Amino acid sequence: MTTPSDTTTNTSLQPYPFHIEPSAVPDFDRRAEKFLAAFAAILDHSNYRFLVELYARVTARCGRCAASCQVYQASSDPRDVPCYRTGLLLDVYRQHLSDSGRWFNRLVSEDSLGSDKIDEMAELFYRCTACRRCSLDCPLGIDHGLIARLGRYVLSEAGIAPKGLVVSVREQLEGPTGNTSAIPLPALLDNLEFLQDEISETKAALVKFPVDQAGAEYIFFPAVSDYLMEADTLMGNAAVLHAAGISWTIGSQYFDGINYGLFYNDWVLERIIQKLVGEAHRLQARKILVGECGHAARSARQFVPAFANGQGLPVVSILELTWQALREGKLRLKKDAVTERVTYHDPCNIARSGWIVDQPRRLLCSFVGDFVEMQPHGRENYCCGGGGGLVSLDETYDFRMRVSGKLKAEQIQASGAQIVATPCANCKKQLRELVAYYKLPVQVVGVHDLVLRAIEL
Amino acid sequence: MPTWMVLAKGPVFLFVLTLALLGLLRLALLTTWDIAAAIRRAGFRQIPYRQVALQTISWLVPFGRLHRNRAGYSLASFGLHLSLLAVSFFLRNHLDILRANTGLTWMPFPKPALDALALAGILAATTMLFHRLYAAGSRRLSTPADYLLLLLILGLFVSGYLAGRAWNPIPYDGLMLFHTLGGMALVALVPFTKIAHCVLFPLIRLGTEAAWHLTPQGGSRVVQSLHGAQGRKL
Ligand code: SF4
Ligand code: SF4
Repeated sequence: MTTPSDTTTNTSLQPYPFHIEPSAVPDFDRRAEKFLAAFAAILDHSNYRFLVELYARVTARCGRCAASCQVYQASSDPRDVPCYRTGLLLDVYRQHLSDSGRWFNRLVSEDSLGSDKIDEMAELFYRCTACRRCSLDCPLGIDHGLIARLGRYVLSEAGIAPKGLVVSVREQLEGPTGNTSAIPLPALLDNLEFLQDEISETKAALVKFPVDQAGAEYIFFPAVSDYLMEADTLMGNAAVLHAAGISWTIGSQYFDGINYGLFYNDWVLERIIQKLVGEAHRLQARKILVGECGHAARSARQFVPAFANGQGLPVVSILELTWQALREGKLRLKKDAVTERVTYHDPCNIARSGWIVDQPRRLLCSFVGDFVEMQPHGRENYCCGGGGGLVSLDETYDFRMRVSGKLKAEQIQASGAQIVATPCANCKKQLRELVAYYKLPVQVVGVHDLVLRAIEL
Repeated sequence: MPTWMVLAKGPVFLFVLTLALLGLLRLALLTTWDIAAAIRRAGFRQIPYRQVALQTISWLVPFGRLHRNRAGYSLASFGLHLSLLAVSFFLRNHLDILRANTGLTWMPFPKPALDALALAGILAATTMLFHRLYAAGSRRLSTPADYLLLLLILGLFVSGYLAGRAWNPIPYDGLMLFHTLGGMALVALVPFTKIAHCVLFPLIRLGTEAAWHLTPQGGSRVVQSLHGAQGRKL
């Protein structure tokens, strides 16, 4: 059996567990120098410097956080202890970029940063799923998710970023289709027509997928991959919006909720947010509605206000909207429509780092006869193992199955559920791969896939 | 007067104490200033202060949390904090030194309670040392400074405890000289080591929250400073 590090692509240019584009790092041997330059520039132009300084000063290195990290729990590799990984970046700061470190280096040692350190960081920052579970258990409140993300940001500005993320972002920001799944507009329109026909066949109702309706209350951004892979989720979304009488639209110029910038780069994050907001303003929508996607919902909710130049719009998740519609009596969901045993997986980005915990549970409990919880759940849930963009990197499959997703597979098995519902494109992909890998008799669906089964139109 | 008492009640201790307090004040002020500046630079300035405060307080009084994860180590760490604070600030002899140096004093804790706490401190520091040495994850994390600090604290507890015992086998003045010098070293180290969390603790979670509030155009400025006006390809 292979070990996680066996997945490394061992060419001199790609010593990492993920592929990078060789052209991104033309002088690969100078990567340490580039890393330092990038780190210095980021500290100069962001809000991270004081935090890095603060963490470097107080971290207790007690190891308590290790017990809450699903990666360390499965691998028992001391390099996976969250504080160890964070310490790598803090050490670079202390030794090369802090005032005292620079003086010390000048006077006492001439320590230069080695490429081996860069390679270790590149490997370890992509073994962390940035789920932030460990920060719950650090007495000091060190946020390793933030540091892993910062480490990835520095790496990416030094040219080291996973090809799987970079290629998608390039298509989204500069490519002809303008979305991460490279879906051309005509194909999207065909797809919407198909979904509309499908609902009218199954539900005998005319549920529209409006495109470019100016002045709608909501402009809708699902993870764009849903248009290819999650027909039931999208039909569930549309059915709810139809039944609740909500005016909404999809934008033809930009219709992708995905924001991989959240995983590795502030510059990318901001540019994607601006596309989202730009399309909302073009269609004079009043609110942004994000589909079933954890990182898309979090990135929009958290960063539209930050990057919209005072032109921000409220950001709402489809989960809170559906729950609100149900509470207001606008939806008819057939009680006990789902008889299988169902459990719910919390996407880290909207549970621990967000605001969606109870809404989907209450929603599900209104029409699921046998609902069970995984332990732990809610804000303390375990990551699916594919967070932080890992699920989009096929080369990390072995690691995701045997290490980062192992605890989640055990949780699912222990719950005895036949269906795992989770409102996130990334979690769904990872969980489907996990249940196949561990041969669990479980179906993985979106929350609105089940709503679609229960809704009466 | 024995040397240790000259040191403890004389200007050397006052100097060390002043240095430590000024160092801590500087750290607290600079960090607060940095956090305020980060919030000012952020594109979105609303901070959930209440939530941050509640989380911070919940770790200040962490009952109900400690047992959930690495219970032995966590309880030892909490015990060490508690006994260190109680013995340092509420032992009559320590308060006498403080009064001699600054004129300040307050009610001491009863001696038997502090003796029990000192023993608890010794047990806690020893547990933490063994944890660092033998728990795989912690050993990898631990630096020489972590061991030295723990050994120093352990040494202070043991010497202080022994000094108060009739059966103490070590010459009293020698023991007290070690205790005094060690105590002064610890006070002097406070602003320069992780013990600085004694004043920075309330600011860490707030700082984390502030750092998540990104600066608009920060990413573009990074690209510009690294690649010039032509920018870089994605
Ligand atoms: S953020 Fe998640 S994966 Fe990363 S170290 Fe913390 S618990 Fe582990
Ligand atoms: S991050 Fe916190 S819990 Fe983890 S080792 Fe460091 S101080 Fe301890």
